[in-house]
Amino acid sequence: MIRRLRKRHVVGLAGVLLLTPAAGFAQDGPALLDQTCGGCHAADESGALSRIKGQRKTPEGWLMTIVRMRLFHGLEIDNDVQSQLVHYLSDTQGLAPSEAEGYRYVLERDPAVVETIEAPLGEMCSRCHSGARFALQRRTPEEWDLHIDFHVGQWPTLEYQALGRDREWLKIAREEIVPLLSEKFPFESKAWSDWQNAEKTAPTGTWVFTTRLPEKGETYGTLDVSGDSQPYSVTGKLMTSSGEAMDISGKLNVYTGYEWRANLDIGGTTYRQILEISEDGSSLSGRQFLHAEDSLGGPFKAARAGGEPAIVGVVPSTLPAGRDATVQVVGTGLGEMNLSGALETSGGSANDYGASIDVTAEAGTDGMVTITSGDAKAEDGLAVYSSIDSLKVEPDFAVARVGGGGGSAGKMPAQFDAIGYWNGPDGEAGTEDDIRIGIIPATWSLAPFNEEAEHLKDVEYAGEMVDTLGIFMPAVAGPNPERPFSTNNAGNLKVVATSGEATGEGQLIVTVQRWNDPPIR
Amino acid sequence: MRHLKPLNQKADQVVRAVETDNMDEVRAMQTVVTGCTSTLDPGWEVDPFGGVAALCQPMEADLYGCSDPCWWPAQVPDTINSYKDWNADADNAGKDWRSLGTVFPSDSET
Repeated sequence: MIRRLRKRHVVGLAGVLLLTPAAGFAQDGPALLDQTCGGCHAADESGALSRIKGQRKTPEGWLMTIVRMRLFHGLEIDNDVQSQLVHYLSDTQGLAPSEAEGYRYVLERDPAVVETIEAPLGEMCSRCHSGARFALQRRTPEEWDLHIDFHVGQWPTLEYQALGRDREWLKIAREEIVPLLSEKFPFESKAWSDWQNAEKTAPTGTWVFTTRLPEKGETYGTLDVSGDSQPYSVTGKLMTSSGEAMDISGKLNVYTGYEWRANLDIGGTTYRQILEISEDGSSLSGRQFLHAEDSLGGPFKAARAGGEPAIVGVVPSTLPAGRDATVQVVGTGLGEMNLSGALETSGGSANDYGASIDVTAEAGTDGMVTITSGDAKAEDGLAVYSSIDSLKVEPDFAVARVGGGGGSAGKMPAQFDAIGYWNGPDGEAGTEDDIRIGIIPATWSLAPFNEEAEHLKDVEYAGEMVDTLGIFMPAVAGPNPERPFSTNNAGNLKVVATSGEATGEGQLIVTVQRWNDPPIR
Repeated sequence: MRHLKPLNQKADQVVRAVETDNMDEVRAMQTVVTGCTSTLDPGWEVDPFGGVAALCQPMEADLYGCSDPCWWPAQVPDTINSYKDWNADADNAGKDWRSLGTVFPSDSET
C-alpha cells in the first residue's frame, strides 16, 4: 500500500505540462533550426525558414526529412542535434492526435495492413509508397505544389512509369492532386491549434500494461517512467501467462506531447514501442515489436497506475473449459471483482498489476465473461470454451521477405494467429453473427497457394512455419541455383491453422528484400 | 493477341488474364500490403496478379534495371539522383548483392 501511495504521489508531482516543446531544450529550438538549416533555407521577415515553415509532420516524418538533407544534400549534423531538431519540429509543427488517427499503422510498422487509398491519390501517390506517408503530412497549397516539383526533379522517370505515362501526369498532379491534398491535409487546422493549446500530461509515473511477445504469448506488467528531461528512463517488470518474470529497462522519447517512442530491453531482447498517450493522459495504446524484426510483435495497451479505475485486459484472454485456472485482471484502482457468466471464482488477491483471480471453468462451458470492479469494466474480456465452430487466420494476407545470407537486409518473418469462433444464433459459420472467441492454440502448416506455387515448389524453398507458434521464418536471400532461372526463395503460400476439426487459411506472399526501408514506408 | 505468342512466364500470365477476362482485376490491383509498390511494371515485390511468379526472378537479374531508372525508388535506392554510389562496388548484382546496403541510416531513430 505504501508503494502504491508513493507512486500516486509521483504521478501527482509530475502533474500537467503546459509547454509544447520538449523540456530541456525548448528555448534552443529556433536557434538550432536557424543554425542548422538557415544556410540553405532563407528566412522571411518573421524569421521563418523557407519550405520548413509550410509543413507539419510526425516525428518520423521530420526525421526522414533531416536524413534526406544529409543523404541528398550533404547536410552534416551531429546525431544529438538531429534528435533535438526532430523534437523541436514535432512539438511546434507536428500533428494533433486526431490528425494522425487512422494512419498510425505505418508508424507502428504493422506488417499486414492493406490500405484502401481511393483514386486519384491511389494512382498518383500510393502506387509507390504507402498512403499513410502523405496522409501523415500537412502542408500549405504552395508546399504541396513544391512537393510535386520535388518528386519530378528527384525521380524524373515517374512520368513514364505505369500510371504516369498513359495520361497527362503533370497536369493532373498540379490541377487535381495539389488542391485535393491541400483540402484534405491542410497546414492550418483547428485540431492542431487546439492541441497546441491543450494541457499535456507528462509520461512519468507508473503504467500497467498488457501486450503479446512473439514467442511467449499474452503478457502483462508495469512500466515506471522517470526523469526530468528527454530521454526518460524506463524500468519495469513483465510477466508471462505461465508466470515467468522478466526485467524491463530502457529509454523513452515523447514527441508532440503524445507520441511515445521507447526502446526497451525485456529479458535480454530489445523491443521497440510506438505508442500514443491518450489526450487525457490516462492510457497508452499502440504496438510493441522486436527491434531487430519489426514484423514480430503485438498490440500494447496500458493505463496510468493511480488514475481512474480501469481494466486494461485479462491474461489469459481465452480459457479452455474443464479445469481450474488463475487469471490476471490487469488494471488499476480495482477493488472487489465481479466475473459474470461462465466462470466460478474461488478466491483472489490484489497485486501490482491489478488482481489475480482463481477460477473454475466447468467442462462443457462455452461463453464470454465480463469483468467489473466498481466503474471499471472489461466487456467480454475473457472467453471460456469447450469447443470451437470455426477458425480464422489473422492476418488473412501477409508479406514476409527473404533476407540474411550475408546481405544487409535481415529476414522479415510473418506472424499469424488462429482465432476461434462460435457460429452464433444462426448456427452457421462465416456469417455476421459469429462470435469471436479469441486466440486459440493451433498447429500450423503451409501449402502452395496456387498452381504456379505448386509448380515452382514454393513450399519447399520459401521458408518454414514454426508449427505451434504461427511464426513463418523466410528462407535466405539471393539467387537460388536450385530453382528455375535461379529464382529467389520467393513464394505464394497458403497458411493453414488447425485446431481439432477446425481449420483456417490465410495467404502469405514471401517476397524479396527492401533496400530502402525508412521509418515510414 | 491471335498472332502473338507468350515467350516467358509473365507474358503467359498476361495472356491468361486476357483469356479469363481478368484484366480489370489486374489494373485495379492497389490492395497490396502497405508500402509494397503497386506500379505494375511488373511490381517490385508483388506481381500484378498478387503473387510472385511473374516478378523478375531472380530480382538480382534486373536489380540495376530498377535502380538506374529509379523505377521503384521507395523500395530500391535510385542511382540517378538519390544514391548515386549505391552499387558502385557491386558490378554484378547476381554475385555482388551482399555488398549492397540498405540506405536508411541505422543511427537515426525517433
